[in-house]
Amino acid sequence: MRARAAAAAALASAGILAAGWQAGNQVIEASSTTGVAKTGTGATGNAGAGDSTGPASGGAGSSTGTGGTGSSGGTGSSGGTAGSSGSQGSSSSASLKNGTFNGPSEDTRFGTVQVAIVVAGGKITDVKSLHLTDAERRSQMISAYAAPILRSEVLKAQSVNVDTVSGATITSDAYLTSLQGAVDAAHA
Amino acid sequence: MTTAFRSADRPSTPPHPRTGAALSRDLRNRGRRRLLREDALTALAWASGAAAVALYLADGGAGQFTSPSPALTAIGVVAGLIGTDLVLVMLLLAARIPLIDNAIGHDRAMAVHGKLGKPALYLILAHMVFLLLGYGMADGLNPIAEGVSMWVNLPDMWLAFISIVLFIAVVVTSLVAVRRRFPYEFWYVVHLLTYAAVLTALPHQFSVGGLFADGQWQRWYWIAFYVVVLAALLRYRIYAPLALTFRHQLTVQRVVPAGDGAVNVELTGLRLEELAGSGGRFFIWRFLAPGMWWHHHPFSLSADPVAGRVRITVRDLGRGSASLMTVKPGTKVSVSGPYGLFGHAARTRAGLVLVGSGIGITPLRAILERAEFEQGQATVILRASTPGTLYLRDEIAELCRQRGATLYELVGHRARTGNTWLPRHQTGQRLADYVANLSDSDVYVCGPDKWAESVLADAKATGLAGTQLHRERFDW
Repeated sequence: MRARAAAAAALASAGILAAGWQAGNQVIEASSTTGVAKTGTGATGNAGAGDSTGPASGGAGSSTGTGGTGSSGGTGSSGGTAGSSGSQGSSSSASLKNGTFNGPSEDTRFGTVQVAIVVAGGKITDVKSLHLTDAERRSQMISAYAAPILRSEVLKAQSVNVDTVSGATITSDAYLTSLQGAVDAAHA
Repeated sequence: MTTAFRSADRPSTPPHPRTGAALSRDLRNRGRRRLLREDALTALAWASGAAAVALYLADGGAGQFTSPSPALTAIGVVAGLIGTDLVLVMLLLAARIPLIDNAIGHDRAMAVHGKLGKPALYLILAHMVFLLLGYGMADGLNPIAEGVSMWVNLPDMWLAFISIVLFIAVVVTSLVAVRRRFPYEFWYVVHLLTYAAVLTALPHQFSVGGLFADGQWQRWYWIAFYVVVLAALLRYRIYAPLALTFRHQLTVQRVVPAGDGAVNVELTGLRLEELAGSGGRFFIWRFLAPGMWWHHHPFSLSADPVAGRVRITVRDLGRGSASLMTVKPGTKVSVSGPYGLFGHAARTRAGLVLVGSGIGITPLRAILERAEFEQGQATVILRASTPGTLYLRDEIAELCRQRGATLYELVGHRARTGNTWLPRHQTGQRLADYVANLSDSDVYVCGPDKWAESVLADAKATGLAGTQLHRERFDW
């Protein structure tokens, strides 16, 4: 390669890389600030917004209004007070309060994971994914693949003691940690 | 040799005769412009590689190097980006785009193409290995289990795994050692799998990779790059040959002997005057007869077109060219080209030196016919082991006489030592001994590899710049 070609190639390449680097720094800064915003403390209790998506899930239908207004969360908890008296008895995770309980946000390198549980009659009747790993397209697909498996396992076992999904260990761990937080909130 | 292609049949001067200083200045400027194009293309090729990395940096890729697993993943992604960029550059180099061909010539374009093959494959393999390691570490799986999981769980990944197998097959069959063991046709068919490899690699880049996901601007750059490459291939590898073939409708008229083991194939056709002036640049020919059509042959015209006919001179070099000795009159012929830099456009100096050996003499005949030079400024050196292989000798002698070029015929077996391009009894002489104005000349060399390299080494030793040396490879 002649000197002129080498110089032109080096100059053009360096310029392009520098531009890419510069643009990338802005992306990194932007994502780190939103990352902080995402990591709120896991809100316990009834989040109305989460509940209004009820119709998509099976079990909790009775307490959530089909209209899906913000007040439905309240309805759910009031309906649940009667059931809090350990009547179901079958599970060791007794004395769950009825209602919807959000777990904490769990940060992973692939994105944030946060789930919520719906408790009715002292049992976990639904697990909702409020946020799943989405840092990359691949992560989205992994969570899309793993979340339904975890949900059905948890509903079956009525416990966080379920196997992680192979190929989705990180997502599974974060999912179950957030779930544990939600269950703790339901106990409180 | 009695053919209708004797040079006396047509005007022997080029269309725009220029003289002395004007010619010299024009040729030097032409050479400078060509070098500028070459340098610009070189810079562009490197810049495309940098752009591939910049796409990832712009997506915040530099932030991935904080812990091992994302760092491995990032290395894998970057390797895949550069590797794919190289594959696309290789396709452009093989697309016979005039812009590239006019700047660096077909054989150098193909040489660069060949050089990029292994690096591209290594980068694509690294892409796979590093991503399996990085993802596997993140998921708590070994790389093999991660690979299986990706094949099963992710869309388009099975295609990507097939693609990498195809890439390996293409590169391995192109290794010189492997390529020699198989017939050309086998290599050619495997090489066509490149297109399958490129296409099967495509979906996972957009569906699995986050960089080119829907909504990313990087996606548009990447799509545009693929579209440009595809368009170039369609335009110059498919449309151009078909268009030229239909335009000229070439048909074999007759085949006449032309020295030991060689024939002149004369073809009739339409608008053949448009093929004039191609000099020693080659066309790719296919003779559309049973058993012959799948061989393609790179031949330059051995004379400018005359009265509705063109001529190529072919030597029996085995494989496909043997059957050309007996090609039937009336056979239709497909043609594309001209390609390469072995013509007038590559001239940079007022002096002209044409050195040819054996069948490599024939392109020189076409260059000599049209080249611009002043009397005494051109030297033709013909080299052969036996007088019978001084192909087109009579025609060239006549052209030299008409145009005022000096002709040397060097016949005899080659020297073992010293300047091995010379016959044994001329050992010790040098190219400069035959050419008075060598330092201000372009040297065109055509003949067997080793021999041609020996000529070029001789010229370089005299102090000629690389831009003054022109070589046509006949063996690719």
